[in-house]
Amino acid sequence: MAHPTQLGFQDAASPVMEELLHFHDHALMIVFMISTLVLYIIVAMVTTKLTNKYILDSQEIEIIWTVLPALILILIALPSLRILYLMDEINDPHLTIKAIGHQWYWSYEYTDYEELGFDSYMVPTQDLASGQFRLLDTDHRMVVPIESPIRMLISAEDVLHSWAVPSLGVKMDAVPGRLNQAAFIASRPGVFYGQCSEICGANQSFMPIVVEAVPLEHFEKWSSLMLEDA
Amino acid sequence: MAGEEEQRPDKGFRLMGILDVQKIPCAREAILHGAGGSLAAGLLYFLATSRVKRSFDVGFAGFMVTTLGSWFYCRINNAKLRMQQRFIQEGLKNKVVYEGTVRDPTNKETPSGTP
Repeated sequence: MAHPTQLGFQDAASPVMEELLHFHDHALMIVFMISTLVLYIIVAMVTTKLTNKYILDSQEIEIIWTVLPALILILIALPSLRILYLMDEINDPHLTIKAIGHQWYWSYEYTDYEELGFDSYMVPTQDLASGQFRLLDTDHRMVVPIESPIRMLISAEDVLHSWAVPSLGVKMDAVPGRLNQAAFIASRPGVFYGQCSEICGANQSFMPIVVEAVPLEHFEKWSSLMLEDA
Repeated sequence: MAGEEEQRPDKGFRLMGILDVQKIPCAREAILHGAGGSLAAGLLYFLATSRVKRSFDVGFAGFMVTTLGSWFYCRINNAKLRMQQRFIQEGLKNKVVYEGTVRDPTNKETPSGTP
């Protein structure tokens, strides 16, 4: 999860998010260099003693400041497109989970083998146990096995919602009457937090998402326990 | 979990408020190389021509070129290492599966009938 006053991304928990982080670093360095260049030019222009009221044109500088931005844009676009197509690659999911947005909670259904479904409500602040995070923790977590491609089918029962988990690099709108598909692989075990990312009413901030990635044997034990409790 | 919050990492130093040189791989080296390249280029130009303002321009150009060169060189090597790391991880995972078979990566004997 994000720590207080954090500005940057959270640590990546999926290969796609790792790629996005690296692309962001690449784009940020380019932005930094452009900003430095502009700042330097501003300082140089403000402090110069040279004046010339009769400059009409200059082919060389015009060529430079046309070609250079084009090159910079290509330098940004190529890795960006690579990641875009990477995110759309066809994978063979090991598990399909349906996430359905309601006002104001998420429900998850694991229907590949048995009919397992449960609701995930935010833990109210007054009911938080020691160590739980305010406005982030839920009563039931969405548990997934690590290193397995997971297919998420995301929809909504009432209004627009959005299922987002930043550390997995997933964000997908939940639209009533529509199934949106997203895929991810949790590279490492852990607990990953997200929040509803589409305006859906008064309690949009109070319907978080918690994904718990565990080794496969733990996932199997958890799903057996959930089925027994159901 | 609450205790871990108190050990959150330092805020880090952000150049121009955006570039976190401590957390981003290769950023610190690139900026340091850029600073060194800038100093060297500006100083050499000044020693050769004694033009102060132009030396600053050359120094800045040296900063841009050195920073970007160091950055891309480091990032490409970083990317190659990450790819190798992924192959090794896959290989370690597959070693258990393929152990004792023809596809075992540690099996040095070639199967009969293969060229």
